[in-house]
Amino acid sequence: MTMDTHLTEARERLLARAKREGLTTVGYDLLQSPLGPLWVAITPRGVATIHYGTEPSPSELRRLVRVYGPGIVPDHKRSSALARELDQYFDGTRTEFDIEYDLSGLTAFQTRVLNATAKIPFGSVSTYGAIAKRAGNAKASRAAGGALNQNPIPIVVPCHRVVGSSGALVGYAGGLDVKRRLLGLEGADVARRS
Amino acid sequence: MENDALTFGQLLERHERELFAYALRLSGQRADAEDLYQDTFLAAFRAWPPPRRGNERAWLYKIATNRAIDRERKTKRIVANVDDLALAAPSRDDVTLVDLASAIETLPAGQRAAFVLRKLEGLGYVEIAVALDCSEEAARARVSEALKKVKAAVA
Repeated sequence: MTMDTHLTEARERLLARAKREGLTTVGYDLLQSPLGPLWVAITPRGVATIHYGTEPSPSELRRLVRVYGPGIVPDHKRSSALARELDQYFDGTRTEFDIEYDLSGLTAFQTRVLNATAKIPFGSVSTYGAIAKRAGNAKASRAAGGALNQNPIPIVVPCHRVVGSSGALVGYAGGLDVKRRLLGLEGADVARRS
Repeated sequence: MENDALTFGQLLERHERELFAYALRLSGQRADAEDLYQDTFLAAFRAWPPPRRGNERAWLYKIATNRAIDRERKTKRIVANVDDLALAAPSRDDVTLVDLASAIETLPAGQRAAFVLRKLEGLGYVEIAVALDCSEEAARARVSEALKKVKAAVA
């Protein structure tokens, strides 16, 4: 056996011991998707982070540490349910996510915006203004846009389904091309515009 | 500091490879090395956060070294497995692994740790001093004394 194999096994045993001692709180993993690698974190409450790329942003990591402490460790097992649902979504066989999501650590307004966004059905779109209104402040469409831009759980909380009042895609943290592809996958008719 | 580990996962991913190699070199036994690696990181998790900013690597070496020395005092067992050393230290032209292993094996624990940290892990003396909890001069003296003994043993 190579040192890598030993290290992988030793790490698994180490993390199992740490878990038994209650030292670990959040499991993270790197998933592959048609949109490239996704860094994901699962807390006891559900999925808390889906980040486009191989590393979370420092602010996302700080949020997790603020809520759950430093016991954030690699964990393939905990991510498997999310991985399966994402695969099905990208294959076109899933239109709704069953996995719980966790918005702990966000402001009350961000939470309301993202909860309102989570209710937009597959294949439909809504506008920043409508989301702001549902979050309790019809005048705050710009702030709603800001909250959506900081959405820590894209795809599962489908901020790609929020567009400008003219139907323009406006913006997306993962890039407009990704937003267009997600809407295209869902067959939303806005996908061909802008 | 931007680069400080915020999470156990970051600490682990950044340093586990070299700490595992260090454990292998210190103990010479695969099973012991695995125990040492696990004990080191568990102790680090329990004692979180690292005591000084930007010093997490030396901190881990210090934990590992202390644990290895404690363990050795308890068991009085010093074994270097040649296969394991081969995994850890590439052989040199003129010295066989067996010679090197037995030379390292006969060093007192503190000197062996100093030798391995400097010659096999390539740490600087400042980091070795932290890892061994001694002054920089003392770290230099231990490495030099160990080197003398190893050279004499394989001559």
